[in-house]
Amino acid sequence: MAMNNASRIIGAGLKNHLKFSSVRVFAPRISSVAFSQSNSLHGKKWKHSILAESSILCRTNLVSQSLASVRSFSEKPPLTLEMIRDRVLLVLKLYDKIDSEKLTLDSHFMTDMGLDSLDHVEVVMAMEDEFGFEIPDSDAERLLRPNDIIRYVADKEDVYE
Amino acid sequence: MAATRGEVLRLYKKMLRESISFSNYSYRTYALRRIKDAFRENKGESDPGKIKDLIMYGVHNLEIIKRQVVISQLYKTPELIVEACKKQSNDQKT
Repeated sequence: MAMNNASRIIGAGLKNHLKFSSVRVFAPRISSVAFSQSNSLHGKKWKHSILAESSILCRTNLVSQSLASVRSFSEKPPLTLEMIRDRVLLVLKLYDKIDSEKLTLDSHFMTDMGLDSLDHVEVVMAMEDEFGFEIPDSDAERLLRPNDIIRYVADKEDVYE
Repeated sequence: MAATRGEVLRLYKKMLRESISFSNYSYRTYALRRIKDAFRENKGESDPGKIKDLIMYGVHNLEIIKRQVVISQLYKTPELIVEACKKQSNDQKT
């Protein structure tokens, strides 16, 4: 019984350790992956006797370290043109001044959607946040239709058909 | 005229970008709302002198925002429940 308790405490400590390291460092989606992986690994080892515990500790620490290094240098998920299109359209639909029913790939932000230049700046900022790179002002001026944005992002991310 | 237009848009973007970094929820949302409102309020302004004054006012406030953002990051307050909820619902979406 005592052994069981001890293993439980160590396990809780490990869990906390993992949770903190993953949540702090990584983006939410990635962290949930890392978390579930480490959990299942932990779960498998859970049934073993207490003798194996020190090795679990070492191993999980190792795993979390290797996970950490893999994750922090990992690539972004691969992009395709469809994914870019969906993400651009989603961001535009979530912007409250855009009527999502009128939105098409070829509608002009200013003339068709009725946005002003200040709204356009906000749209471009939302795109920067979505795709994680900065869009210089000189390029931002030309991104007047959803299609322009999609092509621009695809060029920047080296996505071709 | 074209130069001023670009200048105003650049200032607008800079101010929004800077205000996002406020660590305090209330300051952040207030700053964003106030900036958006102020620019919209004066978007029809055509008097060049007035525009220049407004830009100066904006630049002055941008400096204040920059300083206050640093201070707000030095003295962080715990996250509000609304923020935690928002984050959680965002996580679920993705």
